[in-house]
Parts: sequence; structure tokens; C-alpha cells
Amino acid sequence: MTKWYRENAPITADKLADELMRLKRGSITRRHFLGVTGLGLATAVLARQPGLFNSTAFAGDLGTQMSIATWPNYHDPATFEAFTAATGVAVEVNVFGSNEEMLAKLQAGGTGWDLFVPTNYTISTYAKLGLIDELDLSKLPNYDASTETARFTNEGIVDGKTYAVPKNWGTTGIAVNSSKIKTPVTSWKEFFDVAMTEADGRAMVHDYQLTTIGNALVSLGFSFNSVKPDELAKAEELLIKVKPHLYAINSDYQPSMRATDAWMTMCWTNDGAQLNRDMPEIQFLLGKDGGEIWSDFYAIPKSAANKAAGYALLNYLMTPENAVKEHVANGAPTTDSRVLKLLPAEVTSNKIVYPDEAALTPLEFGAAVTLTDPGRAELMARFKSA
Amino acid sequence: MLRESDKTRDAVGTPHLQKQPQGTDVTSASTNDIEFRSVAKRYGGVTAVSDINLAVPKGAFVALLGPSGCGKTTCLRMIGGFEQPSEGTVYIGGQPMNGVPAYRRPVNMVFQQYALFPHLDVEQNVAYGLKQMRPRIAAAEIARRAREALEMVRLGGFGKRRIHEMSGGQQQRVALARAIVNKPKVLLLDEPLAALDKKLRTAMQIELQSLQRELGITFVLVTHDQEEALSMSDLVCVMSTGRIVQIGPPQEIYDRPASLFVADFVGKTNRVPATIEAGANSIRLANGVGLPKPASANGTLGAAMVALRPEAITLVRDGAATLQGTVTHRIFLGSSVEYSVEVDGLGDFLVTADRRSLNERDLAEPGERIGLAFDPNALHVFPASTAGSAAITARQR
Amino acid sequence: MNVRSNGPNFMQAAMNTKRNLVTAALVAPAAAWLCIFLVLPFIAMLVFAFGERAPEGGYQAAFTFAQFAKLPTRAAAFWNTLVLAPAGALLCLLVAYPVAYYLAVRANPRYRLILVSLVVVPFWTSLLVRTYAWMYILGSRGIPNLLAMIGIEDVRMLNTPGAVLLGIVYGYLPLMIMPIYVSLEKLDRRLLEASADLGARPVSTFFGVTLPLSLPGVMTGVALVTILLLGEYLIPQLLGGGKVFFIGNALVDLFLQSRNWPFGSAIAVTLVAVVVVVLMVAMRIAWKVAGTRQVDLV
Repeated sequence: MTKWYRENAPITADKLADELMRLKRGSITRRHFLGVTGLGLATAVLARQPGLFNSTAFAGDLGTQMSIATWPNYHDPATFEAFTAATGVAVEVNVFGSNEEMLAKLQAGGTGWDLFVPTNYTISTYAKLGLIDELDLSKLPNYDASTETARFTNEGIVDGKTYAVPKNWGTTGIAVNSSKIKTPVTSWKEFFDVAMTEADGRAMVHDYQLTTIGNALVSLGFSFNSVKPDELAKAEELLIKVKPHLYAINSDYQPSMRATDAWMTMCWTNDGAQLNRDMPEIQFLLGKDGGEIWSDFYAIPKSAANKAAGYALLNYLMTPENAVKEHVANGAPTTDSRVLKLLPAEVTSNKIVYPDEAALTPLEFGAAVTLTDPGRAELMARFKSA
Repeated sequence: MLRESDKTRDAVGTPHLQKQPQGTDVTSASTNDIEFRSVAKRYGGVTAVSDINLAVPKGAFVALLGPSGCGKTTCLRMIGGFEQPSEGTVYIGGQPMNGVPAYRRPVNMVFQQYALFPHLDVEQNVAYGLKQMRPRIAAAEIARRAREALEMVRLGGFGKRRIHEMSGGQQQRVALARAIVNKPKVLLLDEPLAALDKKLRTAMQIELQSLQRELGITFVLVTHDQEEALSMSDLVCVMSTGRIVQIGPPQEIYDRPASLFVADFVGKTNRVPATIEAGANSIRLANGVGLPKPASANGTLGAAMVALRPEAITLVRDGAATLQGTVTHRIFLGSSVEYSVEVDGLGDFLVTADRRSLNERDLAEPGERIGLAFDPNALHVFPASTAGSAAITARQR
Repeated sequence: MNVRSNGPNFMQAAMNTKRNLVTAALVAPAAAWLCIFLVLPFIAMLVFAFGERAPEGGYQAAFTFAQFAKLPTRAAAFWNTLVLAPAGALLCLLVAYPVAYYLAVRANPRYRLILVSLVVVPFWTSLLVRTYAWMYILGSRGIPNLLAMIGIEDVRMLNTPGAVLLGIVYGYLPLMIMPIYVSLEKLDRRLLEASADLGARPVSTFFGVTLPLSLPGVMTGVALVTILLLGEYLIPQLLGGGKVFFIGNALVDLFLQSRNWPFGSAIAVTLVAVVVVVLMVAMRIAWKVAGTRQVDLV
């Protein structure tokens, strides 16, 4: 029985049950649930009850429970289990699909999160709205600003104050199944061209304004972050033209790519690494004409109920020995040179995870304005409802 | 009021109408609208009816009479086509009906509780059957005939009413109009009057009879009400436990019940245990009183049961009367008087007295000693061993 | 006269008061529930609908009809929803009616209860999970893979309008079957016999009696499914690849992505108004057809 056969065989009962269990644990591929509910419903409790071997050393200060809001398949569950074993604090994991959604929840209030994982371009808005605390770095002894790459840390600092520390970085590129698509795809322009021709009915874009509108803008020669009405109008025209040819508008593209329902998609670094690892015919490329480079951060909401535990977990995650396990698990590149040293060579030499600097040059970080710009939000809605 | 046309009476009066031998020449299509030949119906292991042989002549008004569960409705439903016989054959107009579905049979039914279509108005209910006719009838013709049928049941002008706006009696008429509008060969009526109050029931009885005369078609009525059966039909078929126990004109059923069951079920009766000795020309009641052997006793020997109608007894102030007793209760009914008399050695007797049977102004008083006089030939004698059984009926007749 | 009639009237009044108190006690929990979780949020929604979006998202107080004026920008979503919801409901009806008819009329009464529970059993599992299962069945590893084995390559089933319709019919079938089943089960069998007795063939009986008399159930089912479909989000998202945009999707985006509460509220208020109208029209038709005022919702 070949690997190919197994991959493409109809799902077995065992496998379905396994998928469902993963779904319940919130550990399915990154942003799996963005397309599923958009509601952040996949709240999973990894270890609600303190375990038998809990250390009670910190219990007095840290309480018994805390909550983190993050992305699917972005952590190694073993990390939280180890943290619980060490501190007696159970970690509840809330899984989200978009930064907009996280912002919406925090604005509405009552999230109960003690730690969460926003993306670079949102930090300044959170700070401005007073939704996050300035971090007390004395409580994060394992964080070392000097070993971080400034390019990835600077957006965590607003007006000289550190509001967030980096988790990892990545890019938004193009995943192509080369056994299905023979035309080389090296730019976003080619992505949209091929989507309407060779990949007709087989291409996916994100259900996410930043990347879908941003990459459409890039393909037209505009900035990834443009909010200029005339440029947005051209991007809208392109998106509406390409929509009938799309397989789906969905940020949960891994299952479709693996099943070869979809042949080409907008793709985040870590997903690209995972797909390429399991199915070498799926290639991950960065647009010659541009695209997104991003970094995700950890921040503590102002409304957090158990800030002590939030700091404790953050500090735990900043420890290189713990962070390296996380990076191996989720496949995204690290911002911390201490971690980089600990990573195995096959990870650091992977050009998908650590591309040449030249490939990164045309990429742009998302801009804060895109998060709140009503024009982009409306454009996305018109595109989806067209 | 009860008497039908001479033609019908003649047909009903002829002996072949009772228990029919199978496959004889007398059961021709021209004379019989409905015929059951050795019909039985079983549900799983339960026998609902068996050994049913019945011939209903054209234009007759036949009543299937019996207590609930006797199988009369099953018989009606086999005519209607809602049940198929397990054995035997039902004929309608001389045609065997085995396997013929209800919608192909030239009969219509007035259902118990009427089964009117609640989503249609009165006229649409009546027109329903006409709309099923093939070839189709023109809409105007359908409307005309439906209105005509409604006129016939005196509901002209009610056509646009909803069913739930009609009273029970009116619904009954709608059901009737709906059933006759297709001009069926046979009209089936399943306890049609059961839901009406007594006064309305009496009025409808008369109406049904005149309707039958007007239409000249065969009516088959199912009822458990012996009065209704006797007053409306010209042929009564008494059923018990899935069998026919007696068929005959109402008067015959009443005057000459074929079994103690019939005597009991049709009208009121007094029962007296008795014995008939071999060779003796008399009958001995349980209290020892001997009476001349009545005509109905021929052939019966030994233990017997004697039935005596309450109205066959005359109360007399005469110590020499055959039976003597004490009046225990008196119920004054206007035109007649009912007495309960404790007869010496025999127990309670019911006596219905014409007001003139005693002095009109001098009724018997409770506690009074009184004599009971009757014609010995008014006694119906049944062998005690088969009392209440239906099986004996045919032989006795 | 007055004096004499006072007594009974007074007693009547006292009895009425007592009965009213009992009624009030019975209704109170439901009323409180509805008030807290339906009426109050609805009022909040109404207030929001006339407000403005704060610059960073959310709501800021104002009194403007601007949100309602923007409704045409979601015309496509309204159109999709208002066309696909009834169409889905009708398709559902076409599948559900024979099933309900079989269960209520034809099925052996001994097994009827078991069969009816089989219809309901899928409800014990979340629709999300069941729809996920359909993603696998319709995806390349499912039916298209089986087709590939017999030489039919590259058939795409998932993320097509057909897949969405299939998901809708599958997901809402029990909700359609049950009310129709109930109305067919209540149907007086003697009416069917009366129809046959009057010469109607089985087909005529079905269209002349069975169908009209089950219309209250049909209307209930259609109204129920239509209303739920008006708020449907999950099935078009999962089986339609997010390319089919329902009102539900528009609302999710407005509240969770662009954080435009006032506009979202305006759409939601409009949707509620549409639902109320649909419900009223459906019930009116059912009453008319059934010739009675008593139309049970289930």
C-alpha cells in the first residue's frame, strides 16, 4: 500500500474519530476553525482539573486556573501540561480565527483571558484602546530583548513601552500542488492569473481581509497595506472577477490541500512547512512582487483576572528550552537567537521556514490601519457576498 | 309509516331471503343487490365473522343488528371494500367483488361520525364524489347536482358553510347528501344516528325511510339499536359473535325470535326455566305450574328456557289466574304502565300493561297481590342447553 | 335584579382572579426568560441599529438611519438568503414528505416508534460534527475517490451549491419530517376511506384529502426550516467554501471582523422583521387551507 493511496483513501472511522478528537482539543491545523465557525467556539480545556502531581509551590500566588486565547495548532499541548504539572495552574485554551475576532471579543469585554496571541499590526490599536497592559519585564526574567531580532520585536513596543513580546514570525506565501499545476507560480499576479485558468475551481484565498485584499493589491502593484479608495476599488474588481473561479474563501485550507480538492492557496509559513513535509509535491513560495511578513506576540489583557498566572505562563514560554519544543511542534520560525541555536539543523535549513533574506525583501508587515479601516472591511464583505 | 312498497314487501317476505343455501339459482343478479356467500373474515388468528350467507334484494332496507363486536360493521366494510373477506365472496349487483377496491364499487357509505372533509365546505364535500367521475362531469353540472342533493336533505343554501359551522344533525345530512349524490346501487349506513339526540334521531329515521322510497335504492344499515332496526328496515339481520343468528322481517324477528339471544336482544323479555317431559302435552315451569305445550315447543325435550314478552301478559285481579304475584314497582309511562311483579316461585317479572288492561283509573298498587294471565302460545320455548346460542337458529326456522 | 345578579358576578370575578393568578404563576418563568434573553437583547439591538460605529469598532451613541440606508450593500446576502432559504426548505419538503408519509401511514405500527426515533437520533450529535462528516464524504477522499476508482477522475463535489443544498436538506430534514409526520398521524383514516368510497383513486385521495389536511404540518415545517435557514451560517461556510454568503455570514463578519455593531444590528432587526412576516403569512395560509383556526406549531 503506497503512501499516496493511504493519503487519498476515503477516511476511515478511526481517522474520522481522530479528526474529531483533534477538533475538540483545538489542535487541528492553524486557523482551522476560522473557516469553521468564525466564532471562536473551539474552546478546549486541556487540563481544567489540577493534576495529581501538582506542585503547590506557586499555587498561593497563581491560583489554580488561567485562560489563553491563541490560534489553532499553534502550541504543543505537552507544554501546557508541563506548565500545569509545574505550577498547579490549569490552562484553558481558547482558539480563534482572526485578529479582528480577538479584538471584537476584547472590546465586548468579559473574555477572561490572562494571555493572548495578537499579530504585529494590532498591538498599537490594543494599546491605544487600553485593552492591554504594559508588560512588567521584571516578571519575565527568561525573556531577553537582546537575543530577539529587532525587526520582529519593534511592533510590540508602543511609545517606548513594551506591550507585547514576540512568539514567532512568518510569512504569507503561496502553496501550490506541483503535480496538478504545471505553470510556475512565483508572484501574486501569477497566483490570480492561474486561479482563473489552470487552477480554475481549485484555488483558495483566505477568509481574512488583511491577506486576501493585501495580496490582491500586491498583484496589481500596490502596497499590501493600501487603504486608498481607488486602489481598493481595483483590488475589489480583481477579487470579484476571480471569485467564480475559486474553490473556496476559507482560511482552513490544509484539509482541502491535503485532499487535493484544492491545488493552490494563500498559505502561512507554518502550514506551508507542514504541507510540504507530508506532501512534497506541495511547494511553498513567496511572491516576487511582495506579500506579508508577520510576527505574532504574547500580550496580557488589561481585563485579565489572573495576571500572575499570565506572567508565569509567558515566562515559562520564553524559556528557550520550552520555546524550542513549541517551534518544533508548530513549524514557524523563531525570533529568538537562543532558540534558533537549539533547533535541529533540518528545521533551520528548511527554506520554507527560514527563506533567504532576499526573498523577504519585497514583503511588508501588516499596518495597523488595515485593522480598523471600514473600507477594507466593507470590501471584504462585498467580495464574499458577490 | 313503516310499510314499504308492495314489491319490496313481497321480496322480503319470500322464504329464500333467510338462510341461503350456496350457489343456488335464486341468487341472481336481477333480484339481489348484495349477496354474501360463505364469507368469513379473520384478523390474524381472530375470527371477526364466519359463515355469513346473506342476500339482500334490490330496493330493500336491511338492518344489520347486534351488540358491539358482533361483526356487523365488518360485514358492512366488506361491502364497502374497506376489508376483503378471508373466505367466500361478496357480490354487488351480481358481480363478485373479490379484490375490487372501494373506489371501484357502486356503493357509498354514510360513516359513523360522518367522516366529512374538514378542509372543504359543504358543497365541496357533496361534490367530491362527482369530481371523481370519469369521464369528467362539467363543473356547472357538478354544482347543480350537488345543490340538488343538498336540497334533498333539506340543506339548500348551506353550501358555502364550513363543516365545523354545522350542527351534528346538519353534518349527518351533509354526509347523507355526499353519499347519495353519486347515485349508488347501495347506500351503506354505519350507525348513522348514534351521535344524535333522541328527538333528532326519530326525525331522521323518518327522513331516511322517505329518502329510501324516493331513491329506490338498497340501504344497508348497521345499528346496535333494536328499536331503530325494527322501525326503519324491512329486513333485519341479527348478528352475534360473528355469525348471523336470524334474518327476517322486523315483526317476525320480534314475534318469533329464533333464539333466546334474539328474544333478549330484540325487545324486552321475561325468562322462565321450564321442563318438557317426553310424551307430555304440557310444559312445567320452574315453580311447578303446568301449562299447555305451546306451538314453539315442538321437538324440545327436557330442560328448557321459556321467554315471555312483557306486553303479552295481562294483569288480572283474579286468584285463579295461572300465575300469582305481588306488585313491587310501578312505572307510569303515559300511554302504558310498567309493573315489576314478584311472581310466586319464579322471581321478578316485567309486565307492560296497556292502560286499559286494568281499570283505567284503578292501577295496581305496589304491594298488591295480582294475577298474571297470558296465552300459552305466546311463550317461546328454547332448549336450555342451547339457550343464547345462535347455531340452532336455522334448523328452528 | 341588580342585587341578585351581584352575588354570582362577584364570585365569578373572584374565581377569575384566582385563575388568573395561577395562569400568571405558570407563565412567569417563561415570561422572565423571554424578557431577559429575548426582549432586552432585542431592545439593545434596536438601539444599536440607530447608532454609529465607533472609529475602532463597536458602538457609539447616535440617532441616525444611516445603518438602514446601507442595507442595500448587503442586498446580495439578503437575496441569497431569501431565495435559498425557501428553496432549501422546499427541497427539504420534497424529501421529507414521503418519509413522513411512510412513517405515519405505511409503516408497521409496531416499528413506528423505532423508525421515528431513527429520524431524531442524528440530533444527538452536533450539526457541526455531522457537517464535517459531509466535508469528508464530498471531499476528494470521499465519493470523488470512489468515482476515481472506476475511472471518473477529478470530480469536485465539495464547495458547490449542490453540496450546500445537500447539507441543508440533510441538516434540516428531521425538522421537516416531524411536523408533517404529526399532522399525518393525526389524520382520520376514515376520511381516506370516505374518499375511496366516493370513487377517488389513491392518487386522487392523496391530493384531495391527505395533502390538504397535512398542510398545517407542511406549513409548520416549511416555516420552521425557512426561519432557521434565514439565520444559517455553518452549512454554506463549510460545504459552500464560504463563497455563498447568507445573512448569517454577513452578521458574523460584521460583529466579529469589522466590528460594526450598529450595521449588524440594523441587518438583524430587518431579518427579524422578515422572519415575522414569513411566519405570519405561512400560518395564515395554513389556517385557510385547513379550514380551522387550530394550527399547532408542532
